[in-house]
Amino acid sequence: MPVRVVEASAPSQVSGANSGQTSPPACTLLSVGQAFSGTQNVCSLQKDEAWRVNVRIQGCDLEHGYLCGTMEALNVPMADTPVVTFWEGEIVDTKNYTFFTGKWEAKPDDDIRHWTKFPSFSPLASQVAVDGGKSLDLSNHPYIFMRWKEQNFVNVGTDCGLTIAGFYYVCFSCSDGSISGFYYDPNSSPFQKLELKSTNEGRSGFSFSSYELQ
Amino acid sequence: MPASASISASSSHHRASPDLLVRLGSTDPEVKLRALREVKNQIIGNRTKKLSFLKLGAVPAVAAALDAAQSELLVQSAAALGSFACGFDAGVRAVLDAGAFPNLISLLSYPDEKVVDAGARSLRMIYQSKLAPKYDFLQVENMEFLLSLLSSENETVTGLGASIIIHSCQTDIEQNALCHAGVLKKLINLLEGSLSQRDASLESLATIMKDNPEAASKFVSESGRALSSVIDLTKDRYPRTRMLACRCLIVMRNTSPCHLQDIGIKTKLVYLLLELLDDPGQVGEEASFVFSSLIAQKEDLQKLAFKANALDKLHNQLLNYSSHPRRFQGILLVLADLCSNLESCRSRFLSLKALKLVADALTNDNADVRAAACICLRSVSRSIKDLSAGHFTNEVIVIPLVRLLHDPCTSVQVAALGAIGNIVVDFTTHKSTFVKCGGLKLLVQLSKSMDPTMRLKALWALKNLTFLADNTCKEGILSELTTPLLSSLICDPEASVQVQALALVRNLVDGCINSVEYAFAENDIILDAIGRQLQSASKAEIGIQGMYVLSNIASGNEFHKDAVHQVGL
Repeated sequence: MPVRVVEASAPSQVSGANSGQTSPPACTLLSVGQAFSGTQNVCSLQKDEAWRVNVRIQGCDLEHGYLCGTMEALNVPMADTPVVTFWEGEIVDTKNYTFFTGKWEAKPDDDIRHWTKFPSFSPLASQVAVDGGKSLDLSNHPYIFMRWKEQNFVNVGTDCGLTIAGFYYVCFSCSDGSISGFYYDPNSSPFQKLELKSTNEGRSGFSFSSYELQ
Repeated sequence: MPASASISASSSHHRASPDLLVRLGSTDPEVKLRALREVKNQIIGNRTKKLSFLKLGAVPAVAAALDAAQSELLVQSAAALGSFACGFDAGVRAVLDAGAFPNLISLLSYPDEKVVDAGARSLRMIYQSKLAPKYDFLQVENMEFLLSLLSSENETVTGLGASIIIHSCQTDIEQNALCHAGVLKKLINLLEGSLSQRDASLESLATIMKDNPEAASKFVSESGRALSSVIDLTKDRYPRTRMLACRCLIVMRNTSPCHLQDIGIKTKLVYLLLELLDDPGQVGEEASFVFSSLIAQKEDLQKLAFKANALDKLHNQLLNYSSHPRRFQGILLVLADLCSNLESCRSRFLSLKALKLVADALTNDNADVRAAACICLRSVSRSIKDLSAGHFTNEVIVIPLVRLLHDPCTSVQVAALGAIGNIVVDFTTHKSTFVKCGGLKLLVQLSKSMDPTMRLKALWALKNLTFLADNTCKEGILSELTTPLLSSLICDPEASVQVQALALVRNLVDGCINSVEYAFAENDIILDAIGRQLQSASKAEIGIQGMYVLSNIASGNEFHKDAVHQVGL
């Protein structure tokens, strides 16, 4: 979700892969087409506000630790319409990506400070402090940790006065499909919290769609 | 009038003289010899003349001279027949129809070296054509004869041996027979021969090792210097030799990935082939296909090619060679391979504005170019980021692609369906450009095709089109497709088609709760068909997609849940 601090966004680079380790558990709610909705707290010294946010997963490649989708911010004060951005995610599977970001102005200290905000991270913390979690097997962990980085605006131009320079530390719960996240951008208010729940579009259960690229 | 005089002069110049035919049949050896020379000299490199003599029935008359006893007559007859066959399939057919083939073979055992050379030269011309008879290596005497050719001191004869292998070795049984007979050893020796022997050997080795790991390891173990000789030839001064050496190494690597894993040789091959692409002639043309075989389905090599600026080079080639169909096709296929896995390549491809050039290629006169352009688009459109940004759903691409669904050539239609299948995943709920230009109608039409591949690909595209579509779009899809057709496709004779039909229904009943009603149209015939398929599912994927449909329906209201219970699984 875009924020108001004006700062040029850095292009993303795909991190190199480490060998070994297994993929995170396949979770039916972390699949293409799945929608989530909730809020992001945009705290500042002047005021405390929350923007409504909708997320839709558009692509998921667990093998390469890749996820992507769109994020729609609904009541952005400076925008006339909801602002949609496209984001790409890195899944911390210790194979393709570790808990250490290694880019986007995030140092290991920044990483640890954000990851420890998630209660589900505490059993992993000591090992992550040593090697970024490289030696951990997360294949049966009930939570999936990710970084989501907004790459571009979908429905507004870059001159909209909003920035997508930062990225999110994200924690997804495999049991109920809820997502919590913290936005990190050295130039924005710290620890802006994202809270999302998977939606079922008025149904009494979840529905699953699919596409396949050839 | 000067103009007409000039035309008549020119036409008489191209006409073969009936008098020459009479002289070819002369009993006087001198007259016959002069006639043979005259035919040979007139037809060399002249397609029109060849055709003219062919129509006149000159080939049987020329072939008849192979019965002669005089060496000079044999040499001239063989040379003329070779000329008829050179790069001209109608000529090859005429030479074969005249029964000259066994006579040319028997010239190879003639004591006079000139006759042997002429016979071998003529047979090499024939073996360059697909029409040449397949040589049966499995017969012992034929294999012995082939080995004798490859052992010959005469360069043309060894070249003929290689040509026979390149043309006739097609199965792994034949490849193994050649290996066991000791052909690899002979070919390895030829790697140190003359230019033509080296080239012929490289091409034959590639033919014998293709997809045959046993042959590839036999080649490596045959002689310590075999592999290094081929690697050395990648530095040869002649571009064609370099290209053939690269091809031989790539065939070996693709056959047995354990060979040539060294990053150095991989990088070298990438740079060598990029350099060979600059060759303005046939070598440059072939280099693109060899390059494609190097990087296809190999992400590590695609990365190396990306680092070597392959995309920029290929983009320039697209600009320069759009009027050379085969080269243009080759470049498009390399671009397709490069962009098949790596997002970095797709991103560079788009930033170079190569998409417009590929879109233009969709309307090329040549069917192979049109198919290659579709394959390239299919690769580039694997980028979810670019699909999400709607880069492919503009009219410049969609309109010509949809037109290709009418293409007279099936391979173009199938390739277009592949690209369309990706492009319709545009993540916007409108999907209007594609539907407006008649794409939906054509996909539905092709889903009724007699060709199972066509049905599969058409349904695949329809399934992707239905993904996250809004209700208006879904209604449009179902009213075009119709409920009875969809339920019959769920029960298609091909399991792969059934899977796509079920996945389509899965997407159709996804989304807002009203969508579930699509499964209940026309007396529940879709639901009934799904129930039948699930009870007799012939493969797991049918069960998986069918269960997803039922699960999506069961997430509706109480009525929907009851209906799933009624399916009675």
